[in-house]
Amino acid sequence: MFQVIGGRSVQAARVLAPRSAVLVEAVRGRKSRTDPVAKSKVGRIKVPPPVDPEEMVVLKERYGEYQMIMRALRLEARQEAQEHRVLMDLNHLENQRMLKLRIVRVQKEKEEADRKKFEVILQREQEQQEIVKEKEKEILQLQEDAKNFITLENLDQRIEEALDNPKNYNFAIDKQGKVVKQTMLQ
Amino acid sequence: MPRYELAVILKAMQRPGTSAALRRTVETLMERGAVVRDLENLGERLLPYKINKHNQNHLRGSYFLIDFYSAPNILTSLLDHLHRDVDVVRPTVLKKDDQVSSSNCCGS
Repeated sequence: MFQVIGGRSVQAARVLAPRSAVLVEAVRGRKSRTDPVAKSKVGRIKVPPPVDPEEMVVLKERYGEYQMIMRALRLEARQEAQEHRVLMDLNHLENQRMLKLRIVRVQKEKEEADRKKFEVILQREQEQQEIVKEKEKEILQLQEDAKNFITLENLDQRIEEALDNPKNYNFAIDKQGKVVKQTMLQ
Repeated sequence: MPRYELAVILKAMQRPGTSAALRRTVETLMERGAVVRDLENLGERLLPYKINKHNQNHLRGSYFLIDFYSAPNILTSLLDHLHRDVDVVRPTVLKKDDQVSSSNCCGS
């Protein structure tokens, strides 16, 4: 018969006519439409709660203002949230773009570094080979020279040769750059 | 092996004496494991000053140049030996540098 009400209409009802602790409203319960009226309720006329006009006016004005303000705030919040979402989306897109560019750039740099390392290795190897070639040439040169070294057999012959051919390393040079090798051996 | 040069001044002697002294020197070198590369004669010359060695005063000497390859540890004993040789007036061992490119050389 009486149902507890809750929700938005609670506040208005509480202002307009609250007397009990729990707010109730009349609702069709045990009896249906076709049942006869109860004996105690035969001449009952339901009267809505009385309304004070001045109070109503003031309340209506205040409520109107309050709701207008709330609506405005909610609208602003919604707009801010929307803007925020838009900016976040833009940021996300920007990040994706930068990510792609970055990946490409990093890949290129890695390839460049790899190539340089490879080149350095090649260079080193080439240098090593050059060095080996130089050393081999030197060895061959020395082997050739070794044929002219002095041994016990040709020692006497070489001594005779040396005593017969005195060598003179002295020379004279003048300011014009003329070289004179003929000197007097005392 | 490093390469050395023995610039030795021998006493002014007749040919057989000089020949024998040279032979002795080269044999000393070879005993100590050196490889003798070349032997040059710079002639018999007047010494730059009087040299007194082995109780003898020398005015003239014959200069010889022996370049050889050897280990460095034999040099002290070699010089020791040469100082004791009566026919040797002055022995000098020098290290031989790597050949400089002789393209613009005014010398030999």
